[in-house]
Amino acid sequence: MNLSLADSGRRPALSADVATLAYRVLAVLLLCAVLALASEAFFTAANLLNVLRQASLVFLIASGLTLVILTAGVDLSVGANVALSACLAATAIKATGSVLLGVAIGFGCGAGIGLCNGLMVTWLRIPPFIATYGMLWVLNGITYWYMAGDTIHGFPPGLRALGSGHLFGVPVPIYLMLAFLAAGTLFTRYTTYGQEIYAIGANMEAARLSGTPVRARLNLVYVLSGAMAGLAAIVYLARLNSAEADIGESLTLPPIAAALIGGTSLFGGVGTLTGTLVGSIILTLVLNGMNLLAVNANWQPLVTGVIVLIAVWVDIVTRQRAEARA
Amino acid sequence: MREENPSAPLVEMRGISKAFPGVRALEDVSLLIRAGQVHMLVGQNGAGKSTLVKVLCGATAPDRGQILFRGKPATLSSPADARALGIAVIFQEFSLVPYLDVAQNVFLGREFPGKLPGSINRRRMHAEAGRLLQMLGTELDTHTAVHRLGVAQQQMVEIAKALSQDARILVMDEPTAALSGREIERLFEVVRRLRREGVAIVYISHRLHEVFELGDWITVLRDGRKVASMSPADTRMAELVSLMVGREVDTTYRHRFCERPGEAVLEVRELHAENGLHGASLRVHSGEIVGLAGLVGAGRTELARAIFGADRITGGEIRMQGHALHASGADRGPVGSVRAGIGLVPEARKTQGLALIRSVQDNLLLAALRSLFPQGWYRPRHASRVSTELIGRLRVATPSPRRLTKFLSGGNQQKVVLGKWLTAGSRFFIFDEPTRGIDVGAKAEVFGLIESLVAGGAAVLMISSELPEIVAVCDRAYVMRDKTIVGELLRTELTEENILRLAWHHG
Amino acid sequence: MAESAILRERSHWAAHFAAIPGVGYILAAMLAGFSLVSPGFGTWANFSNIGVQSSILLLLALPMTFIIMSEGLDLSIGAVLGLCGVVLAMVLVDGRGVGLGLAAALAVGLAFGMVNGALVVGAHIPPFVATLGTLGVAQGLALVITDGRSVVGIGDALPALYASTWLGVPFSIVVAAAAYFVFHFLLYHTRFGAYVFALGGNRDALVLAGVRVNAVHVAVYALGGLMAGVGALLLTGRMNAGHPIAAIGMEFDAIAAVIVGGTSFERGNGWLPGTLLGALTVGVLRNGLNVLAVPSSLQVASIGVLVIVALLVDSMRGRS
Repeated sequence: MNLSLADSGRRPALSADVATLAYRVLAVLLLCAVLALASEAFFTAANLLNVLRQASLVFLIASGLTLVILTAGVDLSVGANVALSACLAATAIKATGSVLLGVAIGFGCGAGIGLCNGLMVTWLRIPPFIATYGMLWVLNGITYWYMAGDTIHGFPPGLRALGSGHLFGVPVPIYLMLAFLAAGTLFTRYTTYGQEIYAIGANMEAARLSGTPVRARLNLVYVLSGAMAGLAAIVYLARLNSAEADIGESLTLPPIAAALIGGTSLFGGVGTLTGTLVGSIILTLVLNGMNLLAVNANWQPLVTGVIVLIAVWVDIVTRQRAEARA
Repeated sequence: MREENPSAPLVEMRGISKAFPGVRALEDVSLLIRAGQVHMLVGQNGAGKSTLVKVLCGATAPDRGQILFRGKPATLSSPADARALGIAVIFQEFSLVPYLDVAQNVFLGREFPGKLPGSINRRRMHAEAGRLLQMLGTELDTHTAVHRLGVAQQQMVEIAKALSQDARILVMDEPTAALSGREIERLFEVVRRLRREGVAIVYISHRLHEVFELGDWITVLRDGRKVASMSPADTRMAELVSLMVGREVDTTYRHRFCERPGEAVLEVRELHAENGLHGASLRVHSGEIVGLAGLVGAGRTELARAIFGADRITGGEIRMQGHALHASGADRGPVGSVRAGIGLVPEARKTQGLALIRSVQDNLLLAALRSLFPQGWYRPRHASRVSTELIGRLRVATPSPRRLTKFLSGGNQQKVVLGKWLTAGSRFFIFDEPTRGIDVGAKAEVFGLIESLVAGGAAVLMISSELPEIVAVCDRAYVMRDKTIVGELLRTELTEENILRLAWHHG
Repeated sequence: MAESAILRERSHWAAHFAAIPGVGYILAAMLAGFSLVSPGFGTWANFSNIGVQSSILLLLALPMTFIIMSEGLDLSIGAVLGLCGVVLAMVLVDGRGVGLGLAAALAVGLAFGMVNGALVVGAHIPPFVATLGTLGVAQGLALVITDGRSVVGIGDALPALYASTWLGVPFSIVVAAAAYFVFHFLLYHTRFGAYVFALGGNRDALVLAGVRVNAVHVAVYALGGLMAGVGALLLTGRMNAGHPIAAIGMEFDAIAAVIVGGTSFERGNGWLPGTLLGALTVGVLRNGLNVLAVPSSLQVASIGVLVIVALLVDSMRGRS
């Protein structure tokens, strides 16, 4: 039959996702090599486990955020979300002694915030970056007012184990990271919801005209992003054994950086949770390296900012090149 | 071809040819543009009118041919070159800045300098703009922000803008498309006024009575060629119609027409929608390919979108296989339509029909996710099987189901969009310009696929601007005009002339 | 009314006033409300206070108006202001004059503005990401060069300047007013201003008209950086020190002021007097809540709510 023009029989050697991942894993190995040479404190079991634990905290937040970015959206409120959820959960735990209640409240608060974000985007049609940016400040305000400068500390050992405990010598948060990596990958690759989310990010109007319930899926991803922030809040509580209003300060940019480094495209439709995991590791390695080399901690926000810019620029250049090839 | 008129032409386009991948837009077209003359350019969609305009205004370079200005060869390599020669084009989408006022828009980029560096001499700008508008016979407060003006007034601003650049040749693309009664009269007065001033006007229109009312010369394009050029006095509307139409259809697209249509699959009654559609009623039966014809702007895509739920319905009823559509909240919009078994193959397949950065497989299965995987668990192996089978059935030329759709040719992309609805088990298909931008071979394939659909009992509504296609392929056709259905043509009455007659008649 | 009626609008001012009553009414309502609820609010001294406090905000909101009109955003302006502030302070501590310090601050601000412009226009990075990145960079730099501490001992010249009054008007209000007049002139009386409208309204029209669009686009971001430098002058003068992260969050107030004032993110719809009113509204809100002893954090939350309300009203009044 008629094989129409312009369609070369050339098949890509590796699927795009696998190639993306490969480059990033290479970057991890490279970084490890460089750091091992630069500092003898790097290549110890303790430090490596530390890196992984830090990375898992970032990953927990970044995983939900990845889903949002997949739909060509963004959630700038995750950091503030963690702060408020942590403080509310902490209050509940101190008041009733029940860890379970605290977890439920933290989770619920996070998810509720996520739902508000989702409704602002789908119902009020506010662009995601404005809606979640406004939410960031609202949450910040509420958290600082609520805590009034206090700190809540001293939680039951059951909770603390979640953040500081070890299982077979490996910190618990790492298990959480792997668990949510598995859950998230299952969701994105093996459910129809995952397929629809990728479709929405790739072309929202085409998805809508194919019968995809776009608004429902958008609300879902924002709720999930918020819920994961709520979950991360619990783990932070467990790890720091205290809750203060400012724990969210440094949690706005790093999860976005992690997702972007991992190959998630801001323009939607491209990205994987495994990539975000690797991205979290890369980011943490860089920051860990700076710590080991006794670089002033004040450089960290700067470096994170530069990394975000580079990651976005790479994304744009890749798209332009792909565009030219088509 | 009789050429009259003693004055030397201002612009001569000689032997212009232009081809795009897969289609010859213009083939050896020559015409003369004279000062003080309204030159009407007529032809169907795809005849080459807009390409010719783009060549004239420097936006596109011709493959062959020459443009002479006052007898001397001119190179138009950019819009700036054309402007320098005094050529101005007014497209259907105006290039106005909504929140600037009239005067600022007229002189955008060419403001009069004021006393302080960088400032504008507003008084002079408004005075000049006012003068130009007065010359056009329009009274507008030049301080009004353009977004508050109606379309007719915005058009006047565009014309004033062209005149402020000392345009001696004004090209107007379907200027009356968005205007009504008195506004059209006003526009005609302006055109006549400009003509008296010696401006050469190239006027593109679908409305043939305008051609006779306003034109001094007519050029007819068909399939990229000039087929006739004459004075209005030397021709009649019927002759123009037959010149514009009358293409040989050299391939048999349809093998067997529908003798006995089945039950009504889709019924629409007095449909009104937010997009301007009003009072539309139609019916499509199982086994039928029903055409939807009309000129640009007649409302065909609006009707398609209203039926599919892509635009909101404000009145009327739609029934799909007997069940009312878009009735309750959960069923509204495309979600409900897809569930009821309707599929829409949109006109803009790349932006509305496909996710180009996703694979053929992903695109094929998007509308069928709920029916293929009712529990919500996506099984890649099953998905791969289904898509491979479909790719084979539709003969989509792709080395693998995982190839990204952006690498496919137009025809194959169209097959993927169609395939999406096959997987979803649709019973009613709406095709909006299914063969636009597709080469001849693929066209035949697409029609073959459509025919096999209805042979299997489905119902099809096909929008097309190519009249020969409608006549060759459809069992019946509805004709639209001014956002409503104005007539139905049965198989025996289905000719291009009849379609045009219904599509053009001015109310 | 698309009919051929002759439109005799006297001026676009009248049109705007009718079209955007929101911020005016909100401001009036707030003034009335706060005056009733707290006696300490309606004094001349307090209004002067509001003016002074809102002046830096206005300095940031003015270029932010241009940026939002161009369908962009600048999240880094607060961090840049902080950085400019410490640079200025360090120059003063070094014994140099205020003039040199101001020049240094302006240079730093301008540099960051140009970087923002290059990222958005040149590299096509979405504005919120680009400026989020430069926010991190500016904040990081400020923290690094000060090691997280305030820069004190800036001498008497700048605080004296800050405290001075010109014909009875405090210095900061004079600066803010001057800035307003400059921006007003820019937007409504120069070619550049017309092009700013077109950036968001119909960029293609500019390209077709042969204007250097990218230069205009970069310039709106550069203006943001420059004004951050001017704001640093006021902030350092007020605080009598340079603190690296004192201005973090001001970008939010600035964005709020612009949005509440009626400028929208699409089609190049901007109204500078609205920004002035919006800045006053935010200033009044903060001041009123202060007088009511509402903690600063909750004030921020209320501003967030104010923005969402303004956007809601905007979307309800119809997207024409």
